[in-house]
Amino acid sequence: MKTNELIAALAADAQPVAPSALRRRLALASLIAVTAGVALVLVWLHMRPDIHFAMRTAAFWIKAGYTASLAACGFALTLRMGRPGVKPGGALAAAPIAFAALAVLAAGELLLTPKGLRLHDWLGTSWQVCPFLILALSAPAFAAAIWALRGMAPTRLGRAGAAAGLLGGGVGATVYGLHCQEMTAAFVVTWYSLGVFAAVAIGALLGPRLLRW
Amino acid sequence: MTDEGRLKALMLRGLAGDAQAHAALLSAMSGYLRGYFSRRLGAGAADAEDLVQDTLLAIHLKRGTYDPAQPFTPWAYAMARYKLLDHFRRVGVRKSVPLEDAGDLFAAENPEEGAVRRDLGKLLDQLPGRQRQLVRDVKLTGLSMEEAAAKSDMSVTAVKVSVHRGMKAMARRVRDEDQ
Repeated sequence: MKTNELIAALAADAQPVAPSALRRRLALASLIAVTAGVALVLVWLHMRPDIHFAMRTAAFWIKAGYTASLAACGFALTLRMGRPGVKPGGALAAAPIAFAALAVLAAGELLLTPKGLRLHDWLGTSWQVCPFLILALSAPAFAAAIWALRGMAPTRLGRAGAAAGLLGGGVGATVYGLHCQEMTAAFVVTWYSLGVFAAVAIGALLGPRLLRW
Repeated sequence: MTDEGRLKALMLRGLAGDAQAHAALLSAMSGYLRGYFSRRLGAGAADAEDLVQDTLLAIHLKRGTYDPAQPFTPWAYAMARYKLLDHFRRVGVRKSVPLEDAGDLFAAENPEEGAVRRDLGKLLDQLPGRQRQLVRDVKLTGLSMEEAAAKSDMSVTAVKVSVHRGMKAMARRVRDEDQ
């Protein structure tokens, strides 16, 4: 086919395109993934029994705020990495800033804790399973982000995969907070972050395979 | 108007459903893409036109990924670079394409200008070394006769004579070729 003919054929197909369509697609996919994640926690891990009490504590909301901000950051980055020629921008700094803020809080918390209890504060009772469960719960939102990206045009596939991993990990960690009874900042900043980071790393590795177009 | 302003205006009208603007955008882009891919793949590459069509198709199908709040040329450049890398991957060449700014795609080098520059280079190469340097300095770089004289440690008169002879020799060569 001649290039001129191709251009004529494509121009004949110039339907109007809504600029917000991509955001809606990713938002809808994320919403479905969050629902799936909550359902997974309810039927597989079960809700923490003291949820009503926990919801009245600051620690619960600090944890939820931290993981939700990672998810929001992943959302923004996924959207940006799906658009050719757009740099990650300020969204890239948001996740490290949230991490650093929680790390400062954790350090203060440990300083106020008697020496003998510090290790327990940090490891809790579930540090060995926490990152793995978060990684498992990241799967639905990761899949949603990959699906949305496949309808976009990512040109840096590793980075786009990492952004999808951050969205998946952030959502996974947030819904895991409904089950997990650990309440110290030191625990969350270490083991939650580790689970999210694993999701980011896996996303970066899978990106080039899953996102080619 | 700049490339950015002109192309972005066409893109926005195309996104709103204006088929004529969309066609104008695609044909403008086909020129830039042809230049970019043939520069990158080397002259006479049969793949270049396939890549042009491939990228035009992507620009059309993926036009929803263009964010009107962002400039247009980096979007188009990222698309073209992706297609080029994808091509290298498919033909099994491990080659990296440095991430340049969009100017690389929109370089104002059309094939004709390129040919002129090449021919000029060939003509210059036929001049003896010192004369070639003087012609280059005075006629291409734009040094004054005095500056060129100081640079090459010659008298101004000698430079004038040498440049004049060089230009005449080149003109003669062109005439010979044309006949």
